[in-house]
Amino acid sequence: MDFSSPSPPMGSGQSPEALMEQVQAQLAQAYMEELVETLRGKCFDKCIAKPGSSLSSGESSCVSRCVDRYMEATGIIRRSLFSQQR
Amino acid sequence: MDASAANNPELLRFLNEEEQRVMMNEAVAKLTSVCWDKCLTSAPGSKFSPSEHSCLTHCAKRYADMSMLIIRRSAQFKN
Repeated sequence: MDFSSPSPPMGSGQSPEALMEQVQAQLAQAYMEELVETLRGKCFDKCIAKPGSSLSSGESSCVSRCVDRYMEATGIIRRSLFSQQR
Repeated sequence: MDASAANNPELLRFLNEEEQRVMMNEAVAKLTSVCWDKCLTSAPGSKFSPSEHSCLTHCAKRYADMSMLIIRRSAQFKN
């Protein structure tokens, strides 16, 4: 996680509300960065069989679909993890 | 205003909630990665095939079942 963003250091006289907002913003950013890194790995594996001199339109549309499907899969997994039925 | 968690029960509750949220997100992320590799047989399409969708909906629960089995079984091997 990267905490080097240009914001006031925590606990330096901030109100608790501002501190909570800062924590949430940094956590959200860290989550996005990790997600994007995962997407890079998964979609490169699935869509770019042999890197050529440029991305073909087939490869580009595969990558778009890959991102959409991975987000969909994330939702499916999240729902099945937190539902009560077997 | 005092922003130290020790004196601020609201802040403490917030930090615990955020910690829970992070742990849940991490569990979802890890399982999604594993289940994606297991269930997607070919390049992603504009929607999941019925078998891919079925695989994904079952994957998390079956992984949890397997995890319990492993814990029970591997406990035999202590010492």
